[in-house]
Amino acid sequence: MSYSLNEIEAMCKRASRGAGLPWGLCEEAAKGTRWLASFGFSGPDLLVSLLELNDRLPAVDLSPVALQGIWRAPAGRLSPLIAGAAMSDCAIKMELGNIITMLEVDYPLLVVPFASGAALRLGQPVAVEWEGTRMVTNGKELCVQGNSEAILSSHAKRVECSAPAQMLSQSKPIHRAVVGDACWVRLGAFAQRTFAPATEASRLRGAGAGLTGSD
Amino acid sequence: MIMSVCETDAIQLRSPDKVMKLSRLGSIHQSRLSFMRILLRRMQNENWRFDRPVFDIDESGVGHAVYSAHGPDRTYSLVAFSHDLPAEKRSDRVIADAWDATFTLFDGIPTFEDIKRLSRSVPLQEAGRICETELSLSRANRSTRLWEHIVAALAEGEQPDLQKIEAVGYLMRTTAVYGSGKFGAADREMIADRPEFQSPFQVEMLSVFLTRAFVRDLVEHMARMKGGRKAVKLDPAIARSMGIGNSTGLGMAPFLLNHPVLFNNWIAAREQAAARVRALPQASKHEIELFRELLERSILLTASWTTDHQVQSEKIEGLKRDLVVLQQQAGTLSETSDHPWNQLNAWAEKELSLEGQECLTSLMLEPYGALVDDLVNTMAADNTPTFRIAGAMTLGDLRGVLERVYGWALEIDWSDQQNRAKAWYVSEEKLEPRLGERFEEPIEEYEQPLAPGRDAAALYHALGHWPEDKNIAQFLLRHPEYRHIVRRVQIVNQAPYAEIRDNTIASDILPIDMLRCKLAFFGAVQFDPRSDRWVRINMYANAPYPEELVSQTDDFWVYPALREGN
Repeated sequence: MSYSLNEIEAMCKRASRGAGLPWGLCEEAAKGTRWLASFGFSGPDLLVSLLELNDRLPAVDLSPVALQGIWRAPAGRLSPLIAGAAMSDCAIKMELGNIITMLEVDYPLLVVPFASGAALRLGQPVAVEWEGTRMVTNGKELCVQGNSEAILSSHAKRVECSAPAQMLSQSKPIHRAVVGDACWVRLGAFAQRTFAPATEASRLRGAGAGLTGSD
Repeated sequence: MIMSVCETDAIQLRSPDKVMKLSRLGSIHQSRLSFMRILLRRMQNENWRFDRPVFDIDESGVGHAVYSAHGPDRTYSLVAFSHDLPAEKRSDRVIADAWDATFTLFDGIPTFEDIKRLSRSVPLQEAGRICETELSLSRANRSTRLWEHIVAALAEGEQPDLQKIEAVGYLMRTTAVYGSGKFGAADREMIADRPEFQSPFQVEMLSVFLTRAFVRDLVEHMARMKGGRKAVKLDPAIARSMGIGNSTGLGMAPFLLNHPVLFNNWIAAREQAAARVRALPQASKHEIELFRELLERSILLTASWTTDHQVQSEKIEGLKRDLVVLQQQAGTLSETSDHPWNQLNAWAEKELSLEGQECLTSLMLEPYGALVDDLVNTMAADNTPTFRIAGAMTLGDLRGVLERVYGWALEIDWSDQQNRAKAWYVSEEKLEPRLGERFEEPIEEYEQPLAPGRDAAALYHALGHWPEDKNIAQFLLRHPEYRHIVRRVQIVNQAPYAEIRDNTIASDILPIDMLRCKLAFFGAVQFDPRSDRWVRINMYANAPYPEELVSQTDDFWVYPALREGN
């Protein structure tokens, strides 16, 4: 079905929260998924697969051990959301010519939206590369090189982020995206966990409107 | 973009610590920067044309109608569906599932096929699906006490009882107006580059403006069906006094917290406008006379404002007294007064209630359209630049920002249960935001991040043992749970009016203060809180109808005309 980007963002934020991510990362996961969807990528599919994989796992297990050197997670697999957010936070490192290298990253395409934020901060394009795929963004447009299998891959052994990068072609975002029904249902299951069960007492007390208001 | 706050002499701008208190935000009045007035001013200046290509409604009030607004480059159409709603189904609650009328604002002129498609989805509201050619989705219920009276009177060839009309103020009230991508509609980003939608909420305001015309036409139609040749039309002056009501509940309250940059830009525009006016060394005779006239008309407007809510009722009484003494004080203004508006404002801060002070702030802008109206172009927001966290900021600097911007929150004793008695959460039912009792209900695990004061204080304490020269990227790697509030602190550091500088989970919080603030920016009047958590308002009362817009010579329609002999 066709969704507005706002609907996708709102659903992904709730779903991420339902999977146990802290609010700040939920906001970034949602904005990033929206960003990918606006370029025609199945961001929601990747996100929901990641949420299922890491459901309620402690964020620290999936985070880089340190920001120096090559990034590795203590438990082996890096979350693309946590590593991506850290890369955006450290964007300034890439400005100095350093390459940020991440090992064993799940759903590496989910790192790319964070490169868009980093590119806007640095004022120059940032490249994210893994296993024959190279994505370059200046924050507003995206240049894609690689086959779709590699782009949508569920895991990459090594992901490298660098700046400045050259944009050979540019695709612009669109304001609409198609999300499969099955994916929406899977996201919805996570989102559902964020809603407090309704009771008549909370309905009256919480909304504060016991009156029908008809006059 | 964040609106700059240092355009004029910074001394003239009111401090965020003063402006951003809930009690003051909950006393704000509409102004010439309000979204309804921005819309009507544009349509008036650009000579928009209006027509009604379809009005196909039967004698029981069931059918549909189309109202088109033609601007310089584009046309927008309100598609209205009118239903025969059994009385027991009429509810203003967001959880209702049937209404007297349902609407969408269509981008262009709908074809027969479009209307057929919309007739299957729009009446279902949240349970239906619209698409990118639709810009809004809304519904309205009749005020049954007034509706039946007016239909009966007009059918008999008589005009309705003015007292009955004044007691309500509108024929229908909307219970939700959804825009920006909701339920499949077009995202705001799709249309934000159109000049007519550059300012916030213009789609929603246009939809309600056209809804008001539809409602008047519908009541006249129903009277004609009932009375036949005996029936008369509604006196245009009476029609004009009536607006469209709106019931707004807690669902709207978190908006101001969830859109900090946008909120900053609204408040900053208003503060900047007031600062420009206060910086004027003199006022002309015409400007002073216009101010006095509109002050007198404000007194009339206030006289029509009634509520049973005790707190608001006392505030209205205070405002009435304020406006009388303000009138006396304004009598002393002359062409030779030095910085007359600054002086008047300084006097008001000592002598008037918050309602009176904020009413003056709005009124002061009225004679100065040429000086302040350009600020409407600064009221929208692009959140992209402020969303990224600046990870290189040192923790020493972050601590400094917290002390400067969240000093008020660091002073609150968060261990006291009274100071965190409430929790904002979302219920399973229609995803409606609610406010519950943290220590009495099992809701804390569902809490939404809508308590920035508490979270900022927690961040401040968490930073306590970290060295000052470490940076935010290093801190967040260990503490991702603070990402949300760190982002927010960095936003407020750049946008000083972005944050409500009050405790949003205190035991005595009044959510109606948040609703009032937002609705005043819409341009609403006659706020009538029905509890501490929901409010009824009136929109477009006294406004011209679409066909009257071209003959308007000014844009002070919100203030009722002075009666003969006044």
